[in-house]
Amino acid sequence: MDLQKLYALKSKFVVRVVGNELILVPLTGNVAQMNELFTMNETGKFIWENLGEKTTIENLETLVTEAFDVDADTAKKDIENFIKKLETIL
Amino acid sequence: MQNSIHLKIADFSIKLYSDISIELEEGYLPFVSEDEKGVDDVTIHCFSGIPAIDLQKAELVFEAKNEIQKFYSIFRSDTGLGFIIYNQQTKDEVQQIAFLDETFSQWEVYSNPSSESSRLPLKYPLGPIVMHYLTVKSNSVMIHASCVFDGKTGRIFTGFSGNGKSTISKLWADAGNRIINDDRIIIRKIEDNYMAFNTPMYYIDKPKSTVLNAIFLISHSPENKMKKISGALAVSKVMAFCIQNNFESKLIQNHLDFLSELCIHIPVYELGFVPDASVVNFILANETGRTK
Repeated sequence: MDLQKLYALKSKFVVRVVGNELILVPLTGNVAQMNELFTMNETGKFIWENLGEKTTIENLETLVTEAFDVDADTAKKDIENFIKKLETIL
Repeated sequence: MQNSIHLKIADFSIKLYSDISIELEEGYLPFVSEDEKGVDDVTIHCFSGIPAIDLQKAELVFEAKNEIQKFYSIFRSDTGLGFIIYNQQTKDEVQQIAFLDETFSQWEVYSNPSSESSRLPLKYPLGPIVMHYLTVKSNSVMIHASCVFDGKTGRIFTGFSGNGKSTISKLWADAGNRIINDDRIIIRKIEDNYMAFNTPMYYIDKPKSTVLNAIFLISHSPENKMKKISGALAVSKVMAFCIQNNFESKLIQNHLDFLSELCIHIPVYELGFVPDASVVNFILANETGRTK
């Protein structure tokens, strides 16, 4: 899934920050889906908040590297995990 | 002459009006109140006969259904929400059409004259739907949970169907504690306390409440074990068992705000338990940081 598609889906969630974490609740029209809530850790929260209309993977890698003082490989893995997690939600 | 019935559920004031004779299912009878002081939290105007309104042309925003049948559908209009309520005994037959104004304070309920709901306007599933929308507008939640009170401490046990909510409340009752309810609880913040209230069921039980001191997310386990959780994990896990219609951001945000505060003040534990008396003493020995 590309980042633009993920950005477009941001409006389908209601979010709440709890400490350094994020809760995502999908807007749904079906009672069977209403228990599907998700949490993001600090890194996931950061990526979610920095996911903009024109964000690229490279932009995010740079931002994560700077914000969390990690190397590029670690940042890349964090972003891959974030995308994988969102794909399980969507 | 207009008939009216006044109910007090979870300290909410609910007033039903009707031009025809209406009754309540027996589970609601202990909640009838003579104390009509103050402003009603919600009023319900009941009518016999379903008006010729084509809700199907409005925007369908939510459907409560399973593989077998529909429970209700929600439509959005300029003036509020419209509900089609289906009869749970005769599949897909419309039992009632109801309208809720945008302040969530006034219902108009139109019942099919051939349905029992014409006489019993809060017939399932409308009664719990009314209670749910009362909680949505009132900084509170309704949760699938059992609740017990030991004379000092109120504990809620929530989990998936079949995870042992009734079993664990019975174990506490066997140990001399009081069951508030074993299926559906309303949690409200009243002054500085979080309170848990029972709600009308299909059987007769009087209104009960307790201060809430701990929440347990339960599952069966080969051994008793518990772990305190907090933060986003606790909020999301408790919210998963709350009754919710997640079609509107504002409603979800209200729930998230309430539960985030709740989980700061009330400890939340994951509890795996053996379904015997040992779990009561296990909890008493292992609770930490319980609110007083």
